Amino acid sequence: MDRLIDLIPLPYTDAVVALGALVLGVVAGVLGVVAVLRERSLVGDALSHAALPGVCVAFLLTGVKEAGGLLAGAACAGIVAAVCIVLIERGGRIRSDAAIGVVLSSAFSLGIVLLTAISNRHDADQAGLERYLFGQAAGLSEHDVVVTGALGLAGLLLVAVGFRALKTALFDADYAAAAGLPVRALDVGMTALLVIAVVVGVRMVGAILMVAMLVSPAVAARQLTDRLSRLLPLAGVLGAAIGVAGALLSAREELPTGPTIVLVGFAVVVASIAFAPGRGVLWSAAQLRRDRRRALVESVLVDLATALEAGPPPTEAELCDLSPRPPRELRRGVRALDRAGLLGRDGDRLRLTEAGAAAARRQLARRDEWSLWLEHGWRLRLPDAREPDPRDLERSIGPEAMAELRALAR
Amino acid sequence: MTDLLVPPPALEVRRLTVSYGGRPVLWDVDASFPAGRLSAIVGPNGAGKSTLLKACLGLVPSDAGQALVLGEPARRALDRVAYVPQREAVDWDFPATVREVVEMGRYRSVGWLRRLRRADHEAVDEALERVGMAPFAKRQIGRLSGGQRQRVFLARALAQQAPVLLMDEPFAGVDARTEAALVELLLGLRADGRSIVVVHHDLGTVRRSFEWALVLNVRAIACGPVEEVLVPETLARAYGSAVGGDEDEELAWIA
Repeated sequence: MDRLIDLIPLPYTDAVVALGALVLGVVAGVLGVVAVLRERSLVGDALSHAALPGVCVAFLLTGVKEAGGLLAGAACAGIVAAVCIVLIERGGRIRSDAAIGVVLSSAFSLGIVLLTAISNRHDADQAGLERYLFGQAAGLSEHDVVVTGALGLAGLLLVAVGFRALKTALFDADYAAAAGLPVRALDVGMTALLVIAVVVGVRMVGAILMVAMLVSPAVAARQLTDRLSRLLPLAGVLGAAIGVAGALLSAREELPTGPTIVLVGFAVVVASIAFAPGRGVLWSAAQLRRDRRRALVESVLVDLATALEAGPPPTEAELCDLSPRPPRELRRGVRALDRAGLLGRDGDRLRLTEAGAAAARRQLARRDEWSLWLEHGWRLRLPDAREPDPRDLERSIGPEAMAELRALAR
Repeated sequence: MTDLLVPPPALEVRRLTVSYGGRPVLWDVDASFPAGRLSAIVGPNGAGKSTLLKACLGLVPSDAGQALVLGEPARRALDRVAYVPQREAVDWDFPATVREVVEMGRYRSVGWLRRLRRADHEAVDEALERVGMAPFAKRQIGRLSGGQRQRVFLARALAQQAPVLLMDEPFAGVDARTEAALVELLLGLRADGRSIVVVHHDLGTVRRSFEWALVLNVRAIACGPVEEVLVPETLARAYGSAVGGDEDEELAWIA
């Protein structure tokens, strides 16, 4: 352990904090994925709020502030809270969000009452417990890191060993049960994983904000990958980065640790939602803009080609009259065609360039192909589960099927 | 003695009662689906069709009665049943590829903690090939159409290589082409000797392609060969003669 800490190029206390935050980030990141995919992240919130009274009761019973004992108290309280949520859901036939709300607020209130009672009786002694409210990186000992590290490792091992069962049950619980998985026991196990994550993190992030460390890495990582086998490690890495950056920042700048870590996590979530390739907001917006522009250009192109077919080259105003589309939209389409080099002008009369004429023919051909598909497609056997796309029938159903379709039509 | 001559039914339900909140959804239901056939469970909305499958698999608790798979209590025969749940029952944004979902069909026989062997990967390939999803194996499941998702669910069940297939509304919300392809697939599976029980709402398809049917509406109205069971009298008893809309037209069509 000492040698590991020596390896980190930071002052001793910072190195301990960084290591503690690393453990927290990896464990909360990986286990948080399970909670988020089960749509049970708020249960994590309730369990972490319940850690506060758990820590207080453990202190009252043992009278010492040793991390192991206090965290055992937090774990017990988490289990009690989870059982309460299930009992309220089942017993009163109450929706889970309401049951979670009841347990979360009551557990936290109990924690605050106990904390105040302890502070009234024990004077300065309780100073150590308050850190479980908002978390505190300073004062973290090597011993704390070892305890949480061992516990976290156990949690990660459980996930690794039960990966297939977890994946199957998370995706489709009914199928998992029909395939012989003990789904109830798995449910209990997944809640136990949440308890582990909370216990590992509550000392540093605090009861109130712990849920953010469960959710943020999972949400950010989900933007970046489509596979569970990559999502879990990626969430661990992001969690570690968030935890270490936040903890060191708070230690340097004397900011409260939990909120600082959570804000760093929020920044990562926002960045991933904005910039994730293929899924992020910016990417989707750009895609949508491209799609719309393409649809408009293609459709105005057909309007113009039809008008040219029917009579002399129209002016832009004449084309507006001929086309049922709003004039502003048509003018926008004409400008786009112009920029794309598909449109030529003779004075104020519009015509198609050679490229434009070719593009228009392609568009008209695609419309004909789609009509062909609607009329004769039902007689065509497709070799697999491919499905026709009206924008480009030939590419979507393949050249052989297209040739067959043409033959059928003849 | 007859056990030796007549194979036990693929699925048999004896006096099955299931209730939600005291109200029976299935009430003393007796039904039997012969092995090696394509069978349908039909009935109006709320008749308990899906619940019947779920109760047989132990997914919902039953108050009384018993389900037998190939002559054995269903709970002990789960390895011989492949279940295809309704498509809407899962979140399709789940981070998994088509292939990963189909691999789930192998986990039970391999053992939940072990890695897949070569034979398992071959079974997955074969299932994907059979439902026409092989070219889509690496695609994220959220980027599939409804019909393709249904094919993935069927492939997952096929990968189990179980003799009995229980399918819940596989044709709901799929286009006509996919429905035809799926029916053809099911006929092919039956030709391989598998037994298939399908919850279905379209009486027309049942009449055209299925051999055996249970007409259900809380009680079992009739169970037997399609041409004996899907007759106006039983259908009127299941759907009620006063109902309007689609069912009336279907009744007229059938009659």
